[in-house]
Amino acid sequence: MTDQTIILLAQLLEPRLSDAALDFWQKSQREIAAGAEHSRFSALISMASRHAKRVPLTLSEPELAACKNAAPDWAPQHWNLLELLRVALICARNDLTEPSFTESFESLFVYADEGETCALYRALALLPAAERFVWRAGEGCRSNMVSVFSAMALDNPYPVKHFDATGWNQLVIKALFLELPLHRVIGLDERRSAELTRIALDLADERASAGRVISHDLWLCLESSHAERSRALAECLWPTADASSRSAIVLGLARAEQYTAVQQLAETESDIQVAHAIDAALGGQLNQTQFAHLVTDNSESEL
Amino acid sequence: MKFFDPHIHMVSRTTDDYQNMAAAGIRAVIEPAFWLGQPRTNVGSFVDYFSSLVGWERFRASQFGIAHYCAIGINSKEANNEGLAREVLEILPNFALKEGVVAIGEIGYDEITPAEEFIYQAQLKFAVEHDMVVMVHSPHRDKKNGVIRSIDVALEMGVPPHKLVIDHNNEETVQSVLDAGAWAAFTIYPNTKMGSERMTEIVRQYGPERIIVDSSADWGVSDPLSVPKTAHLMKERGIDPAAIELTCWGNALAAYAQSGQIDVEALMQDAVIDQSQSYSDNSVLRGQQPRVDEPVKN
Repeated sequence: MTDQTIILLAQLLEPRLSDAALDFWQKSQREIAAGAEHSRFSALISMASRHAKRVPLTLSEPELAACKNAAPDWAPQHWNLLELLRVALICARNDLTEPSFTESFESLFVYADEGETCALYRALALLPAAERFVWRAGEGCRSNMVSVFSAMALDNPYPVKHFDATGWNQLVIKALFLELPLHRVIGLDERRSAELTRIALDLADERASAGRVISHDLWLCLESSHAERSRALAECLWPTADASSRSAIVLGLARAEQYTAVQQLAETESDIQVAHAIDAALGGQLNQTQFAHLVTDNSESEL
Repeated sequence: MKFFDPHIHMVSRTTDDYQNMAAAGIRAVIEPAFWLGQPRTNVGSFVDYFSSLVGWERFRASQFGIAHYCAIGINSKEANNEGLAREVLEILPNFALKEGVVAIGEIGYDEITPAEEFIYQAQLKFAVEHDMVVMVHSPHRDKKNGVIRSIDVALEMGVPPHKLVIDHNNEETVQSVLDAGAWAAFTIYPNTKMGSERMTEIVRQYGPERIIVDSSADWGVSDPLSVPKTAHLMKERGIDPAAIELTCWGNALAAYAQSGQIDVEALMQDAVIDQSQSYSDNSVLRGQQPRVDEPVKN
């Protein structure tokens, strides 16, 4: 957490608040910065809901760029206004690196409602010495509430930096299970592994046995190990796959370094969209953001 | 026909469910301890929850002619809260040895972490020491690997395979469980896990031996009538009635009666409902006339 981040939070927040909410924020910020008691701090976090609603932030491009600049990979485009206010209030504390804050912050989770819980998990990306909260972050991923899980798993730079292999693989596979957009799991490109590939391919087998659809996003998980299984899965799905699915398969195989397989599939491809995807993949455009345009998930804007 | 649903979380269900279950022929249920959909914050919550499984819920079921047994254990998700899970381990024996507790469960892995491993092993040890049946929840993610590991660890700890029930199986895991000599339970959920049609095919392919059907109905989208509905579909699809009887009644009874906590003879009798009873002066009635009637026709 730098002063720059605090200033940026205020800059994002203030133009979006009503006059009354602005007054609440400024007074509360001063009170918290002056060292308010835990009970008061906790009450202010709760009462924030009286002043800001769960409306989308709709950040501008320059604002998003400023966020990425302030904290690596910080991408709050799906936060709502109430979450931003709460995170700003948390960041207003003067003891963020101290045990007193650790205790106070952990205590907030015990009494938090759903909206507060999401905001607390989102705050992790901005807190100093954030490794203190790695267990708590794992609890967020164990949540059955999709909103809470998403706050931890999507657009959040915390997991890729702090989770061990088990926690990371669980997060990715759970996001797949919940049919969340995997391209928004920050750092997936770098943290693919042989184990994650195996788990994803096992999941594909399981879904095939159950007669269920295998989501596009599964292809994002694969890297070069278990190449035969990846190719076999592609060959099995290809004949009945629609254009989007074929694009996903091609991108997945290319990410798994199965270029020959991609070239073979290209020979029979007549769809212009898939042909573009093949050219792009063979041309090295392989990162997870390439997947975004393949995804047609209507729920995405709500998460 | 009588049915046994050996995995259902009745604390999350209504009295309408109890009535419909009894009408559909469900004569007995097992309610394994699990989580509340969100993590508990202190050991007192576990005490009251376990207490309700051996107390109020058992009484409530009896008011609808359903015999209620339970399994006591720390679920895999909450095993990850290490401090709290150790506190729960301390109080577990106060409930696990009660009358009508037919197993330690549901226990096992969720994310397959060291914390889950510790709590799983501690509870397996307790089960072995007290000669109890173990009901294992298999994980949603990395399931096949999780099932194999659950079995290996249980056998290593000394749980005999005939006292081990692995739940939430699917086509990819059933063979490993049967090969190990354990019981393979299947949860029938409308949208996830396993559907009645797939279940029918599994019984057709593997036969009925050591295969158990359950609903795992809880606070999520689930169906407390999954067992009778699956039985009807199996009948329609030409499955041998003896196989239906085993997978929807007999196998669960055989597995969990090893606890010595199920009066099999009494279960074979039709239930008699007496709603004029109360539990600590608390009744399931809300001003209605108590129903004191003939045995429920199964």
